[in-house]
Amino acid sequence: MLTIRDLHASVERRPILKGLNLTVNLGEVHAIMGPNGAGKSTLAAILTGRDGYEVTQGEILYEGRNLLDMSPEERSHAGIFLAFQYPVEIPGVSMVQFLRAALNAHRAAKGLEPLDTAELMALLREKAALLKLDASFLTRAVNEGFSGGERKRAEIFQMAVLNPKLVVMDETDSGLDIDALRIVADAVNTLRSPERSFIIITHYHRILQYIQPDVVHILMDGRIVRSGGADLALELEKSGYESLLNPA
Amino acid sequence: MGRSTPSPLRDRALSWMEAGDLSHLFTEQVLKEDWKYTPMDLLRQRWDYVPFEYGQPFGVAGDSLSDPRESLDERNPAIQSFPEPLSPWEALLAGAAHQRHFMLADGEPIGVALRNPGAFAAQLFTAIVPESAVGEVWFSLEGEGLSLVRWHLHVQRGGRLRFYYPSPRDSGESYRYLILTAYVEEDATIETYELHAATAWMRSEMRIQLGGQRASAHLHGATQVTEGAFADTAIRVEHRAPHTESNQLFKSLVEAGGRRAFQGRIFVSRAAQKTNAYQSHKALLTAPSAVSYSRPQLEIFADDVRCTHGVTTGFLQGDMLFYLQARGIPEEKARSMLHRAFLAEVVEKVPHAALRTWAEEYFTLPKV
Ligand SMILES: Nc1ncnc2c1ncn2[C@@H]1O[C@H](COP(=O)(O)OP(=O)(O)O)[C@@H](O)[C@H]1O
Ligand SMILES: [Mg+2]
Repeated sequence: MLTIRDLHASVERRPILKGLNLTVNLGEVHAIMGPNGAGKSTLAAILTGRDGYEVTQGEILYEGRNLLDMSPEERSHAGIFLAFQYPVEIPGVSMVQFLRAALNAHRAAKGLEPLDTAELMALLREKAALLKLDASFLTRAVNEGFSGGERKRAEIFQMAVLNPKLVVMDETDSGLDIDALRIVADAVNTLRSPERSFIIITHYHRILQYIQPDVVHILMDGRIVRSGGADLALELEKSGYESLLNPA
Repeated sequence: MGRSTPSPLRDRALSWMEAGDLSHLFTEQVLKEDWKYTPMDLLRQRWDYVPFEYGQPFGVAGDSLSDPRESLDERNPAIQSFPEPLSPWEALLAGAAHQRHFMLADGEPIGVALRNPGAFAAQLFTAIVPESAVGEVWFSLEGEGLSLVRWHLHVQRGGRLRFYYPSPRDSGESYRYLILTAYVEEDATIETYELHAATAWMRSEMRIQLGGQRASAHLHGATQVTEGAFADTAIRVEHRAPHTESNQLFKSLVEAGGRRAFQGRIFVSRAAQKTNAYQSHKALLTAPSAVSYSRPQLEIFADDVRCTHGVTTGFLQGDMLFYLQARGIPEEKARSMLHRAFLAEVVEKVPHAALRTWAEEYFTLPKV
């Protein structure tokens, strides 16, 4: 469903991605691991259409469409969802208002009528329970005053509500304690399906003990330098990035 | 209104009005500094003088408003203590015939709705909140033309006054100038809520004197400056007694070509120890051609006080906008949600639920 070919991208004219190739099929879970600064968040930003990232070479096909021609909102409507590494606070907009607008925009793109309030609230409550989020957080401003763990859970909650086809999780596991990590992993496993693919960007092996990936990639200096099965993550955990790439 | 004292300013202002020549109003400003950013050219046209018409009191306050026709006798000492005019505009009001004075009754809100028939209209009001009473004034101004209104508010010991100034959206040819002065006695409180979409020119001047111990003032404003319009707020809060408190919370949304000026002055006299004063004006510019000037000014003559102010001016944060878009919310809709959310911090403070709801709708209206 997603094919990235020879992707080169720059930020402020500095090359960050330097020939990245990646193919994700429907229903697969891919893990992308790599050290800080390798370009993992840059890849997520380019997949979702964030400003300030210039693609200088290569292409991205999503369900046969040229992804780079689509606006961020169109990509969302087409089923791409990014769980942000640093979700921003949106003071003055409650989670309900926010998701009402998002869901109704998705529905409008499919030619569907907006949800009425009862339907909306039922859906939000159901998904909040999945993430063990207190229903009161629905009326709070988006991410405002949320702890790090709450923000990450709120991202996965939004994912559950919007029901995407391709989920990109950017270090959702960072900063989570073990309980929160379990809640997030359980929710992901619940939502895992042959109709949905995941790209799990992570720094650590830890989350992959709970979410079994089909493929593990190592991203360093803007390129995928190795790919393998779930055991690659384990190997990496034991020996570190450097020795893995430069075996003695 | 200091009738007993001669006022050369008032005499001059009245003679201009009699002669049908108001041009001096636009050139002769006593507090010139406070007019630094105010474009007078917009007003410099020939204005005929007409009285205001009275309309229906503002919708959301509904039936709870009592009939404000009861007037105070102008020999009442509170009216006799009316401050001297500081500008030709005030002088004109002090001398003009259109004056009404209200003594508020405890727990009975009043509503005054003025409609300008499209010329120059001016009116002066006084409202007095008696000792320990709770008063509420709903004031709204509609219609085109140049409207000059002054409210002088006097909150007696232990009283509380809420002053609501929500402006219905107008067609764009309205020039509105409100002068609000208040004297707040010991243990008394004034709260003001100004909710306004400026479509041509507006200026709000507020001068609040906290005259008695523990007096407080809480001033709120949410202003949308629509394309090409000008809005101007000039505030002076005077702390003249110990343990007084003031808060100014203002937010402005400034659209393309719009100009916003905010000048907030906090004055603390030597006697006003333990004063607590806060001021904030945040402006969100929706286009590079929008402008906001903010000028906080502190004049502090007491040593044991806490005065803080915060001023920010900026554009919508790209990461907020992107967050909404990444969830599928189209850019235009995302912007308008964030604009409304920006003003929400002030709107949420409005203690009247129906007015809060009204304001949310009001500020989400699409640009014309
Ligand atoms: N918006 C940005 N502005 C400036 N530099 C950026 C930006 N995004 C990423 N970079 C730079 O690109 C490189 C890769 O960053 P990033 O993709 O965030 O790495 P990772 O997520 O793998 O830690 C880093 O050197 C970072 O400083
Ligand atoms: Mg990152």
